[in-house]
Amino acid sequence: MPPPQTGLLGQLAATIDLCFIFSLVYTAVISPQDPTLLIGSSLQATCSVHGDTPGATAEGLYWTLNGRRLPPELSRMLNASTMALALANLNGSRQQSGDNLVCHARDGSILAGSCLYVGLPPEKPFNISCWSKNMKDLTCRWTPGAHGETFLHTNYSLKYKLRWYGQDNTCEEYHTVGPHSCHIPKDLALFTPYEIWVEATNRLGSARSDVLTLDILDVVTTDPPPDVHVSRVGGLEDQLSVRWVSPPALKDFLFQAKYQIRYRVEDSVDWKVVDDVSNQTSCRLAGLKPGTVYFVQVRCNPFGIYGSKKAGIWSEWSHPTAASTPRSERPGPGGGACEPRGGEPSSGPVRRELKQFLGWLKKHAYCSNLSFRLYDQWRAWMQKSHKTRNQDEGILSSGRRGAARGPAR
Amino acid sequence: MSRREGSLEDPQADSSASPLTHLEAKIQQTHSLARLLTKYAEQLLQEYVQHQGDPFGLPGFSPPRLPVADLSDPAPGHADLPVHERLRLDAAALAALPPLLDAVRRLQAELNPRALRLLRRLEDAARQVRALGAAVEALLGALGAESRGPGPEHAAAAATDSAGVFPAKVLGFRVCGLYLEWVSRTEVDLGQLAPGGPA
Repeated sequence: MPPPQTGLLGQLAATIDLCFIFSLVYTAVISPQDPTLLIGSSLQATCSVHGDTPGATAEGLYWTLNGRRLPPELSRMLNASTMALALANLNGSRQQSGDNLVCHARDGSILAGSCLYVGLPPEKPFNISCWSKNMKDLTCRWTPGAHGETFLHTNYSLKYKLRWYGQDNTCEEYHTVGPHSCHIPKDLALFTPYEIWVEATNRLGSARSDVLTLDILDVVTTDPPPDVHVSRVGGLEDQLSVRWVSPPALKDFLFQAKYQIRYRVEDSVDWKVVDDVSNQTSCRLAGLKPGTVYFVQVRCNPFGIYGSKKAGIWSEWSHPTAASTPRSERPGPGGGACEPRGGEPSSGPVRRELKQFLGWLKKHAYCSNLSFRLYDQWRAWMQKSHKTRNQDEGILSSGRRGAARGPAR
Repeated sequence: MSRREGSLEDPQADSSASPLTHLEAKIQQTHSLARLLTKYAEQLLQEYVQHQGDPFGLPGFSPPRLPVADLSDPAPGHADLPVHERLRLDAAALAALPPLLDAVRRLQAELNPRALRLLRRLEDAARQVRALGAAVEALLGALGAESRGPGPEHAAAAATDSAGVFPAKVLGFRVCGLYLEWVSRTEVDLGQLAPGGPA
């Protein structure tokens, strides 16, 4: 009987106190047992038939690897009870549990097996990025080196420690946002930098990423703004008003928060983004198509928390909110921009020119009561009167057509 | 005619029929559980062989049917035994399976740590077969044919050589195969006990 294994499985069996509740007896043994090899390397293996087995001989033995019979020229008899095998230029293992190298008797019965682990040592993980949700936790993501394909099970461990003191800690909640991620749920310090790195280990070696140093306050994100409401602006067919609430978890800290709005037409996949909505919780979208359903989303960047100078991390987008612009006879303009409430001019070219004109008028023509509000009111009046004219013309047209057809029966 | 006369839901309407009805219901319930576990056992075996690699999943793969401590295949004459005796053997086998399935799960956690569905199925199988075994024991008790006392300690030490990964894979294959054989055997045996089944 071969001696008990002291490798991984032997340790495992001892640890779980099974004390080998099963019995397995094979009439031969393959050497080496469960070797680990680099891709491209060679292997010399032997299958030795137990001497106490009646009629035991290596005559007629053959090998299979992952179920496929190996060419006989790769084998040779070393002696009456031992068949040797030479494999060269090995490919990476087909499954993580190891390639199955099996020694068969002449009749095809299985005499013994060994599992080959052929692969590569891990390369250095890189591109570590981390973020903290509302300063309460830390989630990190990384990219495995060489795109992770080592053909062997590779274990990734995220480590972290306070930069100037403290012991190494190991993250425990893996795969929270993808296969190479980890979540640290609590006990994080603010105003002091952390060092974070990733260690990759497999049967062929280990590798360590570069260390990322960060302060939790520099990587804060938050929840999307709640209570996003989108509504029409009176009768204006090319505008919608968007209102939202500051994310509650950080509302006492968001002195410099930035917001971003994106919107799209109902049956389109192309979003238009309105950047830099600054620290306000409302915006007016202008230049929209009349009579069209729009989906709108808002997100928040809580930069500047506790004086952080870093850019901050955008939240997820809020759930889409839909609203439609009023219908119009005239085709509306295709562009869009965020029009702030209160009549301050936006960056659109028409309104920029209008602002210049109004400024000139106030200076030279003493029109002190001119404003954008007045301009919007005028536009609404223009659209209403245009609709009325079209309706009248329609009635008149149908009246004339009716007259041309003659009296009704 | 009172509202409760002839009511199928009134357990006291016909007290002489209710114990038998209750037992029949339990037999049917246990039979349904065995049928469900047979299906799960087939799925478990398929999932298991996928993760071990060929030749485990190949047709005709036949490693040595080596004995597993505390559990053997149903004997060739099992079907000829009286149904109560068959159920006793079923209950004993079902009681022996959970620690074996646990052992296979722990080995697979090392060999295939990313095979989460396989690991979950093995964990579920241990729990489910324990429930089925308890249900069969309860039926035997209700039939007045209790099993013959507690079996041997299923976690007892039995020296062996767990030599290598390949034998561990074969062991798991064997245990999954035995699990399928015994739950399907239990399903057949309970089917003969269920109302409408052969006497």
